Amino acid sequence: MTVNQVPFQEFRMLLQNQGLKVAMGPFNVRINTQHLPLIKQLYGLYSHYRLVHDEIIEFHVRINTERSIRNPLRLNVRFLIDGQSPFESFPEEQALAVLEWGINLAIAVRVNHLLLLHSAVVEKKGATILFPAWPGSGKTTLCTALCHRGFRLFSDEFGLMDYRRGVFYPIPRLMPLKNESIAVIRKLLPKAIIGQSIPNTHKGTVAHVRPPEESMRLSENTAKARWIIFPKWIAQATTQLEPIADAEAFMLLASNAFNYEVLGTSGFRAVEQLVAQCDCYTLTYSDLDEVTTALHQLTDES
Amino acid sequence: MNPDYRHHQILLAALTNPACLAHYTNAEWELLIRLARRVKLLGRLALLVKEYDLWACAPLRTTNQLTSALIQATKLRQSALWELDRILWALEDFDTTIVALKGAAYALTGLPYAEGRLSVDLDLLVPADDLADIESLLKVKGWRHRQISVYDEHYYRVWSHEIPPLIHAERETEVDIHHTLAPLTSRLKIDSGLLFANAQTTSLAKVRLLCPIDMTLHCALNLFQNNELADDLRDLLDLHDLLLFFSRQNNDFWKLLIDRANQLKLGCILYYGLYFSQLIFKTPVPEGVADQLHAKPGSLKRRIMHRLVPLALFPQHPDRPMKRAALARWILYLRSHLIRMPLHILLPHLLYKTVRAIEAKSKAMMR
Repeated sequence: MTVNQVPFQEFRMLLQNQGLKVAMGPFNVRINTQHLPLIKQLYGLYSHYRLVHDEIIEFHVRINTERSIRNPLRLNVRFLIDGQSPFESFPEEQALAVLEWGINLAIAVRVNHLLLLHSAVVEKKGATILFPAWPGSGKTTLCTALCHRGFRLFSDEFGLMDYRRGVFYPIPRLMPLKNESIAVIRKLLPKAIIGQSIPNTHKGTVAHVRPPEESMRLSENTAKARWIIFPKWIAQATTQLEPIADAEAFMLLASNAFNYEVLGTSGFRAVEQLVAQCDCYTLTYSDLDEVTTALHQLTDES
Repeated sequence: MNPDYRHHQILLAALTNPACLAHYTNAEWELLIRLARRVKLLGRLALLVKEYDLWACAPLRTTNQLTSALIQATKLRQSALWELDRILWALEDFDTTIVALKGAAYALTGLPYAEGRLSVDLDLLVPADDLADIESLLKVKGWRHRQISVYDEHYYRVWSHEIPPLIHAERETEVDIHHTLAPLTSRLKIDSGLLFANAQTTSLAKVRLLCPIDMTLHCALNLFQNNELADDLRDLLDLHDLLLFFSRQNNDFWKLLIDRANQLKLGCILYYGLYFSQLIFKTPVPEGVADQLHAKPGSLKRRIMHRLVPLALFPQHPDRPMKRAALARWILYLRSHLIRMPLHILLPHLLYKTVRAIEAKSKAMMR
């Protein structure tokens, strides 16, 4: 059963009482909050999340509201995981962004049974493209465009690799567009469901894109990686895919993982295996239509 | 059983009788993982599940989390030992003795389950006379102090038993360098000379370990003197491990332990250590051992501690924290400060910490 099959009142009761339990890729998350504006946003954006019953939950998170000390008329929100607060509170308007970041942080800090690449991942014809990149290189925007145009969304943030089996897990979640990207995507994809813009976050203005239903429905289907593409958005640039040497790809990939060092030998072997089995490129682009076409060409040729 | 304490039992049974895990439900496993994580015992739990051959029957979502914790523990241990190696490199030409404490010491001793212990920092004890030289040598070779306030600097330099933590610019392991084992402001005056005199050599030149007796006493001292006890169950389990491990190696262990505690005037500390280790982990302490301590807490203190300490050591239920346990933790927090500092230092200190906590909160709001 998915969230959109539950009436709003029931959804609200879940979040306010025993917790909303949903599957996020290979993890289960339980969310609690009393904050009605957040509940409403989640109802719109989490529509295709699968509800979880009687399964073990890995992440128990909560968004609490509290009065600001300096300005008691203002409400702040605080993210809690297992009852503990890993970072400061934020203005209430940012509740959704805080929740999503909090879950990202929890995954990044706790998970070592998978290699965690800081990477967008999409799939076509059973094979994935990894787009490893640091924040600001436009991977969320690129990923949003691709997953509405013929690619299946794995993640805009995490490449989750089971390094013993050599496969990637999808973890499709809300995609937080930042600043200028919001208008770009609204124009490019008028049918995409995008949440309200949240101004003044530490990353500027953020708006969350709901993942396509198809990607959510197939979110238990793993796949192997076939291409590794290091993307870089550059204003006015024409689309260029340049093959790069394995050694360079190795260094770029290893330095981009959240837990490469923690994994030690397993991390090294996993990255080695990835680079060996994938075609590796750098990509510069500015036009999303052009780059989408180029990537379809690349995947169709193989 | 009182349902308020059921979660204590879920954690304790897993630690002391791992075979019972075979009958845990999904809900119990889920709670167990959350509790063990809170008290830094997830790595330990992973080792127990393996040792008792329960890996295959534990739910996959559980063993994934246990695997993650074990990998992290391995990495942290490796990082701490590497940091120690780098410190030896930095002090190559300086003639001194470095005693490894806590996690690094347990790893070097080969204490059972040390490979599952999550220890983030590297704790070292150095001779007070060498401290200034060691600190400046390390700073020349790339270690830095974190930015701290003038007050904190004063706190470390004048009252504490350690200097502000050092971190190498290229790495993440925090190095805590101690020059004695109890704060200078506390009533306990431990003669570090005695500790160095009995310290044992290791395979690493310059690196020593406290002798088994002193290592055990330090563990109890750290728990009942220096810490605030909240969520410190792991440290009591360390003590239980040390008592078991060393008493099996040496028949005279208990007598030596008592004598040393009396000599170092750590009677009360060891009393509590033995008492709670027995109470919670059923440590086989021979009868009458504690009676030979010269100093023991009075019966009122004992009764109060008996009520409060378990409430602090065991984690709160993550969804249903108990007011009673919060109160116990607050009282023990005050106690830990009272025994560390005389009132004329303590009251301004707590005031300062409170004001700063409020400031930090309101600063976050302004962002």
